[in-house]
Amino acid sequence: MNTTVVWILALVYLVALALELTRIWFRSSLRGAALVGVVLGGLIVHTALVGYRWVALGRDPFSSTFDWCLLAAWALGVVYLYLTLYHPNNPLGIFLLPLVLVLVLAAATVASQVPFAQAQEAQILATVHGLSLLVGTVVVFLGLATGVMYLISAIWMRRMHRPVRLLRLPSLEWLQRITTRCLLLALVCLSLGFVTGLVLSQLRHGHVDWSDPVVWSSSLLVGWLAAVAVFILVYRPARQGRKVAYLTLASFVFLLIALWAFWSTPGHVGKLPTLNGSAPEGSDQLTWGRRYTRGSLRFPLPRRKLGYDSPGGL
Amino acid sequence: MIHLVGCSHHNTPVEIRERLAFSPEQARCALESFRQEFPQAEAVVLSTCNRVEFYTAAESTAAVVSHEQMARFLAHFHGLDPDAVFGQLFRHSGREAVLHLFTVAAGLDSMVLGEPQIRAQVKQAYELACRCDTAGPITHAVFQAALKAARRVSNETTIHRKRVSVPSVAVAEFAKQIFERFDDKQLLVIGAGEMAEETLRYATDEGARHITVVNRSWDRACQLAQRWNGQARPWEELLDALAQADMVISTTGATEPIVRLEEFRQIEPLRYQRPLLILDLAIPRDFDPAIGDCLGVYLFSIDDLQEVCRQNLQERQRELPTAMAILEEETTQFMAELNRRATGPIIHQLKQDWHQVKEEELARLFNKLPHLDQRSREEIRYAFHRLVNKLLHPPLESLRDHAREGVPHGLLEALKKLFQLPE
Repeated sequence: MNTTVVWILALVYLVALALELTRIWFRSSLRGAALVGVVLGGLIVHTALVGYRWVALGRDPFSSTFDWCLLAAWALGVVYLYLTLYHPNNPLGIFLLPLVLVLVLAAATVASQVPFAQAQEAQILATVHGLSLLVGTVVVFLGLATGVMYLISAIWMRRMHRPVRLLRLPSLEWLQRITTRCLLLALVCLSLGFVTGLVLSQLRHGHVDWSDPVVWSSSLLVGWLAAVAVFILVYRPARQGRKVAYLTLASFVFLLIALWAFWSTPGHVGKLPTLNGSAPEGSDQLTWGRRYTRGSLRFPLPRRKLGYDSPGGL
Repeated sequence: MIHLVGCSHHNTPVEIRERLAFSPEQARCALESFRQEFPQAEAVVLSTCNRVEFYTAAESTAAVVSHEQMARFLAHFHGLDPDAVFGQLFRHSGREAVLHLFTVAAGLDSMVLGEPQIRAQVKQAYELACRCDTAGPITHAVFQAALKAARRVSNETTIHRKRVSVPSVAVAEFAKQIFERFDDKQLLVIGAGEMAEETLRYATDEGARHITVVNRSWDRACQLAQRWNGQARPWEELLDALAQADMVISTTGATEPIVRLEEFRQIEPLRYQRPLLILDLAIPRDFDPAIGDCLGVYLFSIDDLQEVCRQNLQERQRELPTAMAILEEETTQFMAELNRRATGPIIHQLKQDWHQVKEEELARLFNKLPHLDQRSREEIRYAFHRLVNKLLHPPLESLRDHAREGVPHGLLEALKKLFQLPE
């Protein structure tokens, strides 16, 4: 049932994207209201789905890759709705809604519904870890959208000697401000997520496995963001114009590498310690800090709480 | 009946228009003198740079002022030959006059299609007529309807949204695409010409506060700076001012570029690649075009701005049919209402006369039948009332039907004669 709802959500966001794209061809006084109505309706369904899985199924909102993708898409959708209400004349959806769609489609197709393993003794730390990584990812996605808008507007104006008329983009100053804030917020959130991941790994295993692709790709991402922050603070021109946009695009690439490492590393997707020590297929782990190995952990969690008794059948 | 005589940029050369134009004080005098000459008629004078229009209206046929009388009045007021003036004026009456006023108020008859200032000028002309007591029921209705129609056009089309003057496009479409706010930006004006001042006006409307003026003539720089609460700097400090600026409006009459690439390179490190918008509105250009390739610089020439103006004007032209359809609809509605109002006094008179006859007959009947109780009297009174209304209904309905097409003068005259109604 959940997968069906996710497909419906994808359809709703696709309709919203189509409505946004019609801005290229014609003006309409009704489109704004229709757009807000469609997205609001989609977000209500989206919220209900996330809430249902959180409350009714006893799942954390980011307890599996499926939930994580859904929640990230929801957050981006809320950001989009907010920006649309405050900037009704700007086609922000053309840049933001594809990202929302990618996350929703990822949830519908490749993401697993089997929950990550969670340690009862480090529940708060694990929540901080998951939440900060989620916010950091959403912020990088938003920065990508504003950065791309900045580059399109700036390059068009310099080459064509006039503003983009087909799409009325926000001012360069606003785009630059949002992109810079996204970069700095991403640094804070992803660093926090990374550090808490390391601490979790240290607590559980007494050491951090730096050869793990997830660990080194995450450290690469955080290191890059830190370097960007230092670059921006030390070198004043780096705070201006296209440099910020290019830095955000690069950050997005580093994020993609980290996400790819997380999804493609068998230890992170597909292993979950069970009550008797065995790991069922398709279970994930939350922590980026260290890979769990089959039977290495025994979390006495109730089956209802973990919910892995019905993989893929929710 | 509404009459209009006037001249505009469409059909009259400026030499004639300026001789017929009214200052606000002259318009007031003209209206007062019109009221003395034609006390039963209503009048409004609309005088702008591009048009002089004189509207009159009267409810009764006897009070109507003809086009010839209106032209003669205008000619006498300005001390011109009436015959010469009459040939230069366009003339409209009734629906044509109403549609013309609606078109003017919506800015669709303006030299720059869709310019919004004309609506305020129409409103001012109407308010002046109200103050001079020359506005009456018809002019109240028609001018209020014109302003409403203009608002509809403004709300339901994008004809006013696209800017078509170089200074307005420079700020609204170019500057606002780069800057979100202007109150924290350094605005540098090079040159002190009209174009610079006009662009400055739009920029300050958007919130620009920190204005620096640099001009070869120190006195003119000081005057312009004083008018806009800015500061003037000597010509020699041009590069220093450029290093601090966020936005530049350059309109000098220099025959060679005043800022070359090599000179800009000197101040480039001081800017830390901060965005710099340069609106080079001068011909020949004040800034070396190569400066546009420098990091953070957005350099636009007058040709770039004029191209956008041309495109905007084309977009306005595309909106014209929609706007005209709105005005046609509003005019039709207004004329139907106006014609209905013209039949009002006759209908009122007719009803009043018939109900008076009814009351007289009821009084006579109740005198002859004094034994009737109150309830019976009420029933009889109600029956008489229904009878009168039923007898009046067909002729009044016919009158209303004909009023939709125009004032039914023939029917009104027939009713007056048939029922011996007073004039």
